[in-house]
Amino acid sequence: MTTAAQTVHMFLDAFARRDVDAAMAVVDSQVAVTVPPFGLNEKGADVLRAVLADQVRAFPDLMITVSRVIATGDVVTALFKAEGTQGADYAGAINQEKHLDIDQAWRFVAAEGLITEVAAYWCQAQLYRRLAVKRYDEVAIA
Amino acid sequence: MTETTQRSRTASSAAAVVTEFFDRYRAHDVDGMTDLCSMNAGFSYVPVEIWGKQRVLRGDGKVRTIGKPLWTGLIASFPNLSNTVHSIASNDDGDVVVQADIEGTQQLAWGLVTPAGRHYREPHLFVFHVGPDLLIDDIAAYWNDAGISQQLGHNEVD
Repeated sequence: MTTAAQTVHMFLDAFARRDVDAAMAVVDSQVAVTVPPFGLNEKGADVLRAVLADQVRAFPDLMITVSRVIATGDVVTALFKAEGTQGADYAGAINQEKHLDIDQAWRFVAAEGLITEVAAYWCQAQLYRRLAVKRYDEVAIA
Repeated sequence: MTETTQRSRTASSAAAVVTEFFDRYRAHDVDGMTDLCSMNAGFSYVPVEIWGKQRVLRGDGKVRTIGKPLWTGLIASFPNLSNTVHSIASNDDGDVVVQADIEGTQQLAWGLVTPAGRHYREPHLFVFHVGPDLLIDDIAAYWNDAGISQQLGHNEVD
């Protein structure tokens, strides 16, 4: 039987390979997705797929370095750094080919080999700072 | 003969320490929060990052040297600062992960944000480690600082 931590490791390993399909293979179709930096609080695998795909598309050299995976029953929390060079617009920010490094914490709930909840925490101020965005109300203006 | 009662660290006792930490935070008892931490407890408020011309200041260090002044400053700037704990997950190794909203109404400057009497409420994820002595020996927190700035009416990415 696959533990919650093993399921999350499979997800993170696939995401680190930029293989969104493989990552989504261990996600429940009705997964609850919360991404505070996007004000996102919805259900459905397509929601999470879009979050992952946008990152992979915007940062073609995306590198995920996991520092800790903390298992607390069916809740698994992963701490990692996402790095990459912008290659396309992302979260409203136009592409200026800036490099990004953002420490993040993702909290998962997993059972029976599938992820049923994901809450992703990172700081959009750090992200915009690195992408040379000057104002939150004018994100697309360089 | 003196009988001593000493709780052992379990998932439950570690969670209880962290629950008490948030109770004391809600009561603005910064000394009490610090008392729940070991002398050398680590501290990392990941989004705290101030870029200067020649240096970057970060919210990393120790509870007693970085955490305590930050908590004190937050409470001074947001006199009604409060927290709502939504979930606590823990294990017997002393790891405790907490989802909580932090909220408050700004009365004094906070960083580069001038006070306009506005209120913020922002989801946070806290990752604690509680040692075998049932003292917190590490705190890390993650949140979206842009959300707080925008709620307070500060639209510059500093």
